[in-house]
Amino acid sequence: MVVMKPRWIFLLFFVTFYWGASDVLHAGEKIVVGEVEDVLLLPWGIKLPARIDTGAALSSLDARDLKAEDGFAKFKLGKQYGGMQLRLPIVDWLYIRSSEASEQRPIVEIDLCIGPKRIRTRVNLNDRSKVRYPLLIGRNTLKENFVVDCMQERCSPPACPEVSSK
Amino acid sequence: MRHALCALLFFILLAPGVIRAEKEITLGTVEEVILLPWGVKLLARIDTGATTTSLDARELKIEGKVVEFRLPDRYEGRPFRLPIIEWKEVLSAEGRGRRPVVDMDLCIGSRQIRARVNLNDRSEVKYPLIIGRNVLKHHFIVDVRRARVTEPECPIPPVDKKPVLSEPLPAPQ
Repeated sequence: MVVMKPRWIFLLFFVTFYWGASDVLHAGEKIVVGEVEDVLLLPWGIKLPARIDTGAALSSLDARDLKAEDGFAKFKLGKQYGGMQLRLPIVDWLYIRSSEASEQRPIVEIDLCIGPKRIRTRVNLNDRSKVRYPLLIGRNTLKENFVVDCMQERCSPPACPEVSSK
Repeated sequence: MRHALCALLFFILLAPGVIRAEKEITLGTVEEVILLPWGVKLLARIDTGATTTSLDARELKIEGKVVEFRLPDRYEGRPFRLPIIEWKEVLSAEGRGRRPVVDMDLCIGSRQIRARVNLNDRSEVKYPLIIGRNVLKHHFIVDVRRARVTEPECPIPPVDKKPVLSEPLPAPQ
């Protein structure tokens, strides 16, 4: 039986702590998401596949039959995601100007569950039926301490406390 | 014996940091990137929403399997002449289109990456270069809370090994 000198025990303790802590601290700071993630729309728990897009300033949600009236946006989700009718207050407008046309889109606030985190975030509403993902997670949402790793896809499934998916 | 143990401990202590640094480089939303071997430094948008990387190419001219273009005036309108590797079909707000794709060496941080780059006139957008997922897959992590995190530092490769047709910059004196 080898008796360890106190300073070796101290050093070993330090080494163990260092190995363990570097990973734990890292995970606590930032949530790593892949290029595509399943995200829950709360409080309904509707699962939407989302493109994680650092090139987009603002997140964007697929809204069908969109109507703006009395400060509210009325729209439906895509059929393959349940087609639910939603009515949300418009908090702002997004003005898009290109050489071809100018467009304005209502901005609303929604609750999302991304990985372990529940966040309230702004999204602009537009018809995304021609694109693959009904939800685009842009920089305004990713600023809530997410980092993007394009080597991965669906590495952070939604797991918010007290939330179940439908 | 004691020295060996010390050396071992020292290595163990340093290893996690070193391995992590090798593994991935964190980028912000905007980074400086150098096109090699020309040494042209551009500001690039780091875009996980883009499948491929694309460069703002003005006065595009196609001659058989070779493409000629210029960088925007801010980059002294530098002319390029490169072989076309393939064509990329795009569906954008303006409709269907076809863009020539070339191979380029990009220096991002300390890493040099040979990447497919598609060429189109991007005069209406802010950044002349979009770094898409084909490049970001080379162990880059994107943190949108940050910008201009890296300084491109790559050795400029010898000219004769590059299968490019345009004249590279002379090596800095």
